[in-house]
Amino acid sequence: MFKKRFLTMGLAAGLVLSALAGCTEKESGQSDVESDSGKAVELRVWLTPQWKGVLDGSEEGADYDSFFKHAAERFEKEYKDHKVNVNVEVVAGDQRDELLNVNLNGGTPPDVFFESVFAMGDYAHRGALVPLNDIVDDAAKKDISQNYWDNVTFGDDIYFYPFSHNPGTLAYNAEMFKAAGLEKYIGGEEEIKTWTLAEYEEILNGLKENLPKETYSNAYPMGLFALNNQGDTWNLAYLRMFGNQFFDNNGQLIVNDANGVKAANWMKGIYDAGLTNPGAESVSSNDVNAMFQNQQLAISFTNAILYSNAMADMESGKAPKFDMRLANIPSESGDPLSFTYVTGANVFDTKDETRIKVSKDFVKFISTDPELVKASKNGVPVRTSVAEEFSAEKPFFAAYSANDPYVFNFTGNVPGYSQLRQVLYPELQALYTGAKTAEEVVESYQTKGNKVIEEAKANSVIYK
Amino acid sequence: MMRMKIIKESNKENITGYLFVAPQILLFLIFLVYPIIEGIRLSLFQINYQDEIFVGLDNYRKLFSDPVFIQSTINTVIFVVFIVALTVVFAMFVSAAVFDKNAKYVSFIRGAYYIPVMVSMVVMSMIWSFLLNPANGLIPFVARELEVASVNFLGDTRLVLPVIIFVTFATNVGQAIILYIASMIGVPKELFEAAEVDGASRMKVIFKIIIPMVKPTTIYIIIMNIIAVLKIFVVIQLLTGGGPNNASTTLMYYLYNNAFKYNQLGIASAVGVIMFLITLLLSIPQLRIMFKKD
Repeated sequence: MFKKRFLTMGLAAGLVLSALAGCTEKESGQSDVESDSGKAVELRVWLTPQWKGVLDGSEEGADYDSFFKHAAERFEKEYKDHKVNVNVEVVAGDQRDELLNVNLNGGTPPDVFFESVFAMGDYAHRGALVPLNDIVDDAAKKDISQNYWDNVTFGDDIYFYPFSHNPGTLAYNAEMFKAAGLEKYIGGEEEIKTWTLAEYEEILNGLKENLPKETYSNAYPMGLFALNNQGDTWNLAYLRMFGNQFFDNNGQLIVNDANGVKAANWMKGIYDAGLTNPGAESVSSNDVNAMFQNQQLAISFTNAILYSNAMADMESGKAPKFDMRLANIPSESGDPLSFTYVTGANVFDTKDETRIKVSKDFVKFISTDPELVKASKNGVPVRTSVAEEFSAEKPFFAAYSANDPYVFNFTGNVPGYSQLRQVLYPELQALYTGAKTAEEVVESYQTKGNKVIEEAKANSVIYK
Repeated sequence: MMRMKIIKESNKENITGYLFVAPQILLFLIFLVYPIIEGIRLSLFQINYQDEIFVGLDNYRKLFSDPVFIQSTINTVIFVVFIVALTVVFAMFVSAAVFDKNAKYVSFIRGAYYIPVMVSMVVMSMIWSFLLNPANGLIPFVARELEVASVNFLGDTRLVLPVIIFVTFATNVGQAIILYIASMIGVPKELFEAAEVDGASRMKVIFKIIIPMVKPTTIYIIIMNIIAVLKIFVVIQLLTGGGPNNASTTLMYYLYNNAFKYNQLGIASAVGVIMFLITLLLSIPQLRIMFKKD
């Protein structure tokens, strides 16, 4: 009897041990595969929605993952060192940080992420990315101008391979302008129109007063949003409208001055006057974008890729067609306010040398292959060679270049930028709901923001 | 000698029992006890991708000096009190009104209230968002078309809490109704017959017979709802994002933001520990009442 019980106990213990051994075996087995240069390597490539199609949104079946699936297919065929299987996954922009943090803390980061550099810089500070210096050669350095390399360099190392950049502007519905009798403010089809702030206010009021209700029912002059951190770059730009510099030389926020207060008051003023969509405090940038495409807004935010996607949607009949044109964000000084996102791929430190090596090779492949880099024309190419090749087909490239002198660095290159973004929108919500005055909002944003920057600096591997 | 033998025999008997419960205990230890201990440990560390630094109670100190945490705690308490009270009162009212009626009618009422429970909270939140979105939602749209003054239900700090309380209550109340009806059907018929003979009114029957007889169900519903409401998250994430200006942030949403948006795992774990303690404190007296022998 007793023996039997021992036997049962032994079996139970054996079962537990074998389960544990199974886990260990799996782990060591995986490592064996990876150390063997001839064996299969699985890569996880993530991206947020960028452009549709391989090279163009008008291709049949064009989707956000088309380019990367095509690149992956070619890479799998052409890569010699390993048998590679690349899995491409599109991640919603507003879920990026959640997904990445869960995967980083669970020890399962993706191998490659293609995204705007500003949104991913923190991962370099946190030591989650590997430097890419070794895959950047002289030919790339010559073809891509230094300011883009500066954008992707943290400390001494390059962490993102620049692919395209994506200047942010306003988009407006020229047909709604005409309907409201605002023809004189309409710019050329290939122009990025610059209005003075006084003109802009005139436009907003003109749209509110004169937009025919029967043609554009339920429409508003301008889109404003503060539900979350998405699209906050435009909100940051509006806060600079009266000349606020935002960051000082030490990377500290200095938004709490007379210009910052004036800008916050201006935002609150146009909102209260009904010159924007209602409920900005609980409306997201996606909502605003959808409203603009449905002609419920005359002026909205856009960037080169969003613009090109919207045009493709209109061409394919997915969205109602109208005369969409571009304008700069106005400022009190009359100079346009301009910013750009540099986009590119980075490689996560998966602690697996083989996967890191193959990931780097994949990033180099998509960032240097002469055919693949042409897809950067969906935004604005960082490569001079590509920009020149498509300058005739894409007249906006010249217009974006003309804005270069006015480009401001909206991140200030500060560590903790991702968390800094989370501080802004609750303050804007407080502004729009009247819970705080403009003075209180900029003061609170500056205090909380500087605390975030200080803490992030203390934890940054790049500042160590 | 005899006593030793008995103890030995009894141990042998017990071993078999322990072996049978061992897998369950093992799973319990791995998936419930270990995460709790690990959560407590993490709450004492500052964690980034490369290392963990012991900071003692710093995370807790930071929490109690953060007005957003205080706001989330207050909001959570408001949610718990109102949602639980509304659920118990409404479910009791509906169940007491219908439990002794025609079986088909009772089934219809049960089914009608239970449908929202079966629908995912995500779907319900999306539908409410479609109705209430101030820019392109159906209700503000109709209000504008009718030229009625439109209210931003999700963007008004005074309205956002009642709206979330209503949405959560409306989605969950079916569960309580099902439990109450089942419990009321189980009340001995003799009690109602005696009440009828004595000429007791419906109100007297409800207050003197039904409510006391379904007390264990009430306690169970209260405990389960408190725990569920403490963890309220999806509706906040999808409807308001914690806004406006953190007016609808709850402890769970605050925890989520810290863990997955700001990557402050230490702070998030500290919130988790506090929530665990609150749940424990709330549950212990309730459980003691439930298990107390009359």
